Amino acid sequence: MTISDEILMAYVDEELDAPARAAVEQAIAADPELARRVARQRALRETLRAAFDGVLREPVPERLVDAARNSPAPSSATRQPGVSDLAQARAAQTARRVRPRWSWSQWSAIAASVAIGAIIAHFMVSSRDAAPFTEVDGKLVARAELADALTNHLASTQAPDSETRIGVSFRSRSGDFCRTFVTRADRGLAGLACREGDQWTLEALARAQPEAGGTYGTASSALPGAVLQALQEQIAGEPLDADAEAAAKANGWRAK
Amino acid sequence: MPSWIVHATTEMSRALELFRDEIIELLPRLRRFARAITRNPHDADDLVQVTVERALRRFDQWQDEARLESWMFGIMRNAWIDEVRARVRRDRVHAPAEAGENVGTQSTDVEAIALQSALEQLPDEQRMAVGLVLIEGFSYKEAAAVLEVPIGTLTSRLARARDALAVILDEGQP
Repeated sequence: MTISDEILMAYVDEELDAPARAAVEQAIAADPELARRVARQRALRETLRAAFDGVLREPVPERLVDAARNSPAPSSATRQPGVSDLAQARAAQTARRVRPRWSWSQWSAIAASVAIGAIIAHFMVSSRDAAPFTEVDGKLVARAELADALTNHLASTQAPDSETRIGVSFRSRSGDFCRTFVTRADRGLAGLACREGDQWTLEALARAQPEAGGTYGTASSALPGAVLQALQEQIAGEPLDADAEAAAKANGWRAK
Repeated sequence: MPSWIVHATTEMSRALELFRDEIIELLPRLRRFARAITRNPHDADDLVQVTVERALRRFDQWQDEARLESWMFGIMRNAWIDEVRARVRRDRVHAPAEAGENVGTQSTDVEAIALQSALEQLPDEQRMAVGLVLIEGFSYKEAAAVLEVPIGTLTSRLARARDALAVILDEGQP
């Protein structure tokens, strides 16, 4: 069997799969000249490594450590989604990756959320038209079916199979009406929206947690931590009861 | 600002600190690769510094699609290409750059020094292939990704570099 230089190189560089490697090894065993070529290639590799390994043992100049410690990095306000937490990113290394293609800064404050970065990216990259939210003046604002549900659904009377389920309605500390929601579509989103003018501004957004049966969007879906936390932060007093909710809706969700 | 946003922001500055730590851990290897692709230790450390600064400026672009070292070696490769171009422009005005100083490491091994000076004579693209695969131990696939070339291009650069280096080695071994 003749072994090309290319195969031999790949063998020395440990790039061959097991059968090819076995074939080369067999050929080497039978051919002293081939064995000599392999030995030479290996010697080259080892000598090269040895020639440069000394660098690894040298102390690293302070200015380089300094550069790593102190060189400016983009501030968190301009961070892009999907790359925010290295440890998290590493843990989810095999998970779907999001490649941001728009300016993160335009999303202003809400953009700081790690959790929603990937969700926003998902819609903005792959299905902008289907997104249940859009960007207005640096805020995420509900649109389409989600906006309709937030304005028109009452928690007490909503259909069990509706696309968007309203959870809790309440008044925020600034007096605005806010509502939590869970959507069935889009792999299940959960969030908190507050009424500002004639729009619903999203204050929190996360993937909904699936129930035991793997379904999303039913009223009993647990709210993700980020949404719960936002709710606890913003709620003033108790959630609205059915009557108060109906009254608020009748009044166009205007803060008084 | 709602506390969940504050929380997320804190998480991100923690991530940046982690990123800085990982770069510091990588410094010895960055220096080694820089020695392989530049021709003297001063250039090498300058190149490492430029690479670190660029990497941090692009912290928001790091996708963890590749290992951090692949990403940073790629940044180093581009920084070196930029530097070489800048030198070519400067050299049109000033004196030509001095030849390799042949002081890549403190090695006193004759063979190692011979190899190093042979490496210095190779074209940049071959030195980078050698640096990544033979010195840093990258797979062909990873090395090709860092150099932004097809695997076939990488392996042919590698083969040419090896031929040239083997000649030197053989000369040292009558």
